[in-house]
Parts: sequence; C-alpha cells; structure tokens
Amino acid sequence: MSGGPAVRISIESSCEKQVQEVGLDGLETYVPPLSMSQNLAKLAQRIDFSQGSDSEENGVDSEPRDGEWGKQEPEEEEDTVKFQPSLWPWDSVRNNLRSSLTEMCVLYDVLSVVKEKKYMALDPVSQDPTAGKTPQVFQLMSKKKSLATAAQLLLKGAEKLSKSVAENQENRRQRDFNTELLRLRSQWKLRKVGDKILGDLSYRSAGSLFPHHGTFEVIKNTDIDLDKKIPEDYCPLDVQIPSDLEGSAYIKVSIQKQSPDIGDLGTVNLFRRPQKNKPGTPWHIKLEAAQNVLLCKEIFAQLSREAVQIKSQIPHIVVKNQIISQPFPGLQLSISLCHCTGDKKINRSSPEKPKPDDHLYVLEHNLHQMIREFHKQQLSSVVMPHPASAPFGHKRLRLAGPMAYDKAEISSLQQSEGLLEKIIKQAKHIFLRSRTARTIDCLASRIEDPQIQAHWSNINDVYESSVKVLITSHGYEQICKSIQLQLNIGVEQIRVVHRDGRAITLSHQEQELQDFLLSQMSQHQVHAVQQLAKVMGWHVLSFSNHVGLGPVESIGNASAITVASPNGEYAISVRNGPESGCKVLVQFPRSQVKDLPKSDVIQDTKWSHLRGPHKEVQWSRMEGRNFVYKMELLMAALTPCP
Amino acid sequence: MGVTCVCQVPVAEGKSVQQTVDILHKKLEQLGAVKQGNFCVDCETYQSTVNAGGQPSKLLYVMHNSEFPLSCLALFEGGPCLVADTNFDVLMVKLKTHFQNAKGHKVECRGSRYRYCDFLIKVGTVTMSSSVRGISVEVEYCPCVVPGDCWNLMKEFMLSFLGNNVPELPTVFAAKPEGLFAPADSVDTMTQYLELFNKLRKLQITGSNVH
Repeated sequence: MSGGPAVRISIESSCEKQVQEVGLDGLETYVPPLSMSQNLAKLAQRIDFSQGSDSEENGVDSEPRDGEWGKQEPEEEEDTVKFQPSLWPWDSVRNNLRSSLTEMCVLYDVLSVVKEKKYMALDPVSQDPTAGKTPQVFQLMSKKKSLATAAQLLLKGAEKLSKSVAENQENRRQRDFNTELLRLRSQWKLRKVGDKILGDLSYRSAGSLFPHHGTFEVIKNTDIDLDKKIPEDYCPLDVQIPSDLEGSAYIKVSIQKQSPDIGDLGTVNLFRRPQKNKPGTPWHIKLEAAQNVLLCKEIFAQLSREAVQIKSQIPHIVVKNQIISQPFPGLQLSISLCHCTGDKKINRSSPEKPKPDDHLYVLEHNLHQMIREFHKQQLSSVVMPHPASAPFGHKRLRLAGPMAYDKAEISSLQQSEGLLEKIIKQAKHIFLRSRTARTIDCLASRIEDPQIQAHWSNINDVYESSVKVLITSHGYEQICKSIQLQLNIGVEQIRVVHRDGRAITLSHQEQELQDFLLSQMSQHQVHAVQQLAKVMGWHVLSFSNHVGLGPVESIGNASAITVASPNGEYAISVRNGPESGCKVLVQFPRSQVKDLPKSDVIQDTKWSHLRGPHKEVQWSRMEGRNFVYKMELLMAALTPCP
Repeated sequence: MGVTCVCQVPVAEGKSVQQTVDILHKKLEQLGAVKQGNFCVDCETYQSTVNAGGQPSKLLYVMHNSEFPLSCLALFEGGPCLVADTNFDVLMVKLKTHFQNAKGHKVECRGSRYRYCDFLIKVGTVTMSSSVRGISVEVEYCPCVVPGDCWNLMKEFMLSFLGNNVPELPTVFAAKPEGLFAPADSVDTMTQYLELFNKLRKLQITGSNVH
C-alpha cells in the first residue's frame, strides 16, 4: 500500500440538500431547496394532528384496537381534506395546532412529574422491534389462561388422590365381604348350594382317594357394630370347618428301644405346645390347618389299612392312634397321629416329664412326600391325557406291548410298595446308618492305635448310604494305608467292599460290624509292619493274614509276618490277633548267643552265620507312642550302623 | 430277555408224549430247577384275501406268548414282523375283509416253566386242533443277549437234560451279523416257535403219539 500512488481524497461539506439522483457519470442531481411557503406546507402536512386528538379521546379504549384505528385514520383524514378546505383554508391546521398544544401541555406536565421522580419513574422499554406491546400482553394473557387450566387439572387430580387414599384407609378398617370372598375364591374351591357357600378342603382334585368330604362353609360375619371401634383383626368373612378337622395335627414317627407292654398302650398325647385357636384367626390360616389335619388323617388311614393288610412275620399293631411295627428285633417303630382340638385342654401330659424329642423328622417329611406322590400317581394314571389306543395305567406300561417286555420287566414296572412298607424300609435304613455311625465312633474313641477314620458321604439315597472307613497309624498315614473299606449301608444289611474289591455282607447286628472292624485293625498292624519293612530296607520272609497256628481267636484270625534285617543277621516275627494282641519275637544271629547248646550236626564255623533262637520282646515296655513307631525303633536298633 | 433256543424233542421209544414230558420234568428237577408256573404260546394263521398281481397269497401268523403278556406278534412267513399291543387282535377282526382266519390252523404250545439259576426252561406239548403233535423245549439264558457269547454255555446246559437231542445254533442267530451288536429279542424267539410249528404241522398224525 505504501508503495502505491497517493490517493486523492476530496473533502467536502456534508450534503444538506437531498440527492435526487446520481447520474451514470457520477454527477449528483440535488432536489432544489424548498421555498419558505412550500417548507411550511410540508411541515404542516407532516404533523399527524388526528393521532394526538384521537388518542386523547380514546385513551380508555383497549390497546389492541388501536391497530384498527390506525387503519381507519387515513380514510377519515382524506375525508376532512376533501370537505374541510371549502369552509376555511387553515381550519384543519388551526384545529390540529390547538389539540397539539393541549398535548404539549399534558406532555409538559408529565415530564415535570417524571422529573420530580417522586410519583413516577421512567424505565427503558425493551427494544424488540417485532414484539410490540400488544402481542406481549396477548401472550401473557394466553399463558395465564393455560396455566390456570393446568392448575385446575392438577388440583382435580390431587383431590382424587386424596379421596382414594382416604377410601383405602376406610377399606382397611372395614373390609368388604365380597372382596374377601373373591380372595377366598382365588385360592379355594367354592360352590354355592342353596343360600350357602360351601368350599372344598380335600385333596380329591389332586388325586386323593380319602373318603372324607372335607367341606367347609363360608359365613358372612358382618353383624358388627360399626359405631364401636373395630378390632384390628376383624374380618367380615368367616369359615366353618367340620368339627373333626379342627385344631392341628401331625404325624409322629419314632424308633424306640424297648417295647412297652401292649396292655398300657393308650392314646398318645404328644403336643409340644397346645396351639391356641382364637375365633379371630384369619380364614386362610384356619383352612390351611384344617387341610393339614385332613392330610395327616389320610396318611394315618392309609398306613393303618396297609398295616392290617400286609402279612409280616411280626404283625404290625394298630392301636388307637398308633401303629407299631418291629423293623429289627428289640426295636419298635411307632407312627402316631397326634391331633389336638382347640377346645380340649391337654394338661394331662404336662405333669409328666418332658420326653426327649425322638422325632424322626426325615421320615415324617417323607411320609408327606410319599402320600403326595401317591396322589400324583392316581391322578396321572386316570385323569391325565393319554393316547386313545393305549390302555389306562402307568405311562411306561404303554410301551410294554410294542416293546415286548417280558414278565420280569413288567413286574418291575408294576412294583408298587405301600406307604407302610416304604416307611419301614426307610426307618430300617436310618436306624442301621445311625447304629453303624455309633459303632465306628465307639471303636474310634476306644482304640487309639490304630486309628479309625470315617468319611460319610453327603448325598444318600433313602434306602442306601455309604461310608468310607480308613484304618491308619498316627504319624504313618502315608505308608500305612492298606486298609480302606467302603461300607454300603442298605436296608437290612451292610455290604463291605475292600480296596481290592473283595466284598463281605454283614447283617444288621451291631456285633458283626464291630468284630469285623476289630479284625481289620489287627490285620492293619501286620500290614503296617510290612510297609515299614519296605521303607527301612528290611526283607519280608513270610507274611500271612490268617495264621493257622497258635491260640484260636474268638474274633477272626491272627495274622503274622517275619522280616529280616538288611544284612540278614536279625529277624523280627510279629503275630497279631484281634483278641490276643501282638507278640513280637526277635531272632538273633547264632554268633551272638552265648549259651548255645552244643550240637553234633552244626560244628563248622560257617554255621555260626545261621540265625539262632528267638527271644520275645516285652512290647508294652518298648518306647514309642504307637505300634508302628515302636516297630521302627526296634528295626533301627537292630540295623547295624554303617 | 436273554438268548432263547427252541427245539423239538422226539417222543421216546415206547413212551407216550406225556410220559416223555414227565421224564424231562424229572430230569430238570433232579438238576435243581424250580417250577415257576406255566406258559403258553399260540399261533393263529390268517390268509390274505386280496391277491395283488397274481402273486401267491402270503400267510400271516399272529402269535402270543405268555412270557410277553402285553404283546402280540404278527409275522409274515419269511417277511417282516410286527410287535404290537394286545389290541392288535381286535384290529385283526376289523381287517376281516383283507385277512381271513384259517380256523383249523390254530397251534398251541402249553407246558411248565422252570427256572434254574440264570436259565429259564419251558417244556411244552404242541397241539393243533386238540391233537398233540410233539414236544417243544425252550431254553433261555437270561443274563446275555448276544447269541454268540453264550451259545456254548447253553449247549452244555442242554446236554445235561436233553442228551442227544441238543439242537444246532438256530438259523435266526446264524443269520445275525457277526461283530455288530445284534441282540436277541422276542421276534427271534417267536420265529423259532413258528418254524417249529410249521415243521410239526406237516407231520403225519400218528395215532400212537396221541395221548
């Protein structure tokens, strides 16, 4: 820019005259200045006289109408221009001037008032050109209106809410019979007979064959004084339960050792806590209790029917509310139905000593489960959908024809044990299991060397469970683990499986298991010596689990082992019997024995390497905490130092 | 259901059918077998009335076995076979227009059922329209279903009470593929019975055998 030619800027006074047009050559043509009179006339025309006078008159009118007035004005003005001049040429000017003067005066007054700032102050008005004064007001009005309607809606809603809350509270206080009936109807079977409403408590629809009708009646309980304070648990609906289903009941299963005299077997009253049956109990609790009573009665009826029908070696006894059976000799399984009606006071049992809680809850639970299974079987064999061509009955029996099942397969499908048979089997198993556990625990606590460990499996069948028994010596668990037994406890017998697969069947007698375990423990000691000899570098000369010589053991057989020291000088013989205990003999080299009887046969010096006579070790005086440790010490003592 | 072998035992010389059967019973009881009720196998013959394309009409045999009390077997001679519910008999009545019952051809085999450990032995007399045609012996070895695995054992067992009359391996088993697991089933048993019945049907009725 600086390098460029100087620009000439002409300065002239600002144009006072209006430019009329600018020619193509840039020449401006000015409007010629008005003459005095022309100027006056123009100025006079500019003055909007009508607006001033009209606004004075129509000041009270609403502002939105001013727009209309604005439109009409020019017409009127034209009219006055048309007609007024004929009267007098300056008439309009005069009138307008007069009104303008008035306005000026008013303006002056206003300004003077404003200037005082005492009564009035002027604030700047927002300069929004689009939103004039009129639409703003209109907006305000519409907003106000819509807000008002919204507020009305909200208020209405609030009113409704508060009303419903109040109603709810009222309902809680005074429940409706019909809603209660509806609730009852959704959970129980109801039907209307005459003017009564009867319900069904029985499990018949679930497959039960129990002949009890199990009907209850629904009673309207609305004759309560509404003015009085309504009790909290008030319910307008009440149920009338048959009298024989009232109260509460349960089935008790227990196993007892001695059988009491049958003569004094009476009704058993075995209530832990007599349940209070207030009249105000809600209907659903009442109905559930009654249904439970019904189910217990059904179970007991089924059991007693089977007890009479089944022929067993020792007949089952059904006395009053008790069924007694003998699963094992000297044992008694009693199943009793305990039913307590609310009105009867049972205080007779209270003076007696509280008996130990010998409930077999598992069996009680299983009884309930089995009766439900029985129900389901009934239901599925008769009611459930089945192929039109197939005979009624068990689902899998339908396959028997087309698959050509033979007699054995069919009978295994049809095998249906009664409730009593099943529960007796389960009781037998439970008893056998607990007795086995006790036997093992007794032995484990009585005998410290060797040790017995029992690992019970967590998951059992109702008729079978298993336990793993390990016999070890303390401190030598790693090398002495020859005896591992798996005891499968069944219903009548215990099956013992050795680690090598041998299986032995023991009966339910406690003594058998105990004797067996004792003989295993005795064998363990000899096995332990064998294992120890391997570790210590001794040689096994002979080994026998069942020795045919020596004193006869009342339990099992004695076992024996003979081991020789690494260099063959010494030999240890061990004989261990379950009853006679252990006997340890050490054989010395012939050379070490002083008072060896002279022999005519063995005279050569080489025979002195033969082992000589045996000497018994006083085992109880040996040092060491257990048998294997003592044996280790003995072996160590007889092994010459290198 | 194990492997089954059905064979015919000839009537002993100078003895009636019943006497021969009694001898067999005695032999079994001496072995230690225990009698476990009776058994019955029957067979009815149906003739197809619809003759398709001039082919000779096939015979349909409907059989029952008390060992499969809920089943009914229908066999075509040398053709397909069907195992069904006992309802099948009712169906056959409805199919009268297609299969006609040959009334006089009903064959029955009745007798006693013995158990000896794992063996089931059935000694029966085969009768056809109330005339005795022969003696059948069925031996079943229950624990095994593969004929090749237990045939020698069965043969040895049969030797102990049948003597010289021990049969060869039944043709139904000989036809089974070797090496594949082809278990013996009810159809094999019934096929053997059918073969036996057809063999006895062709025999001349000899008056001396009739009890």
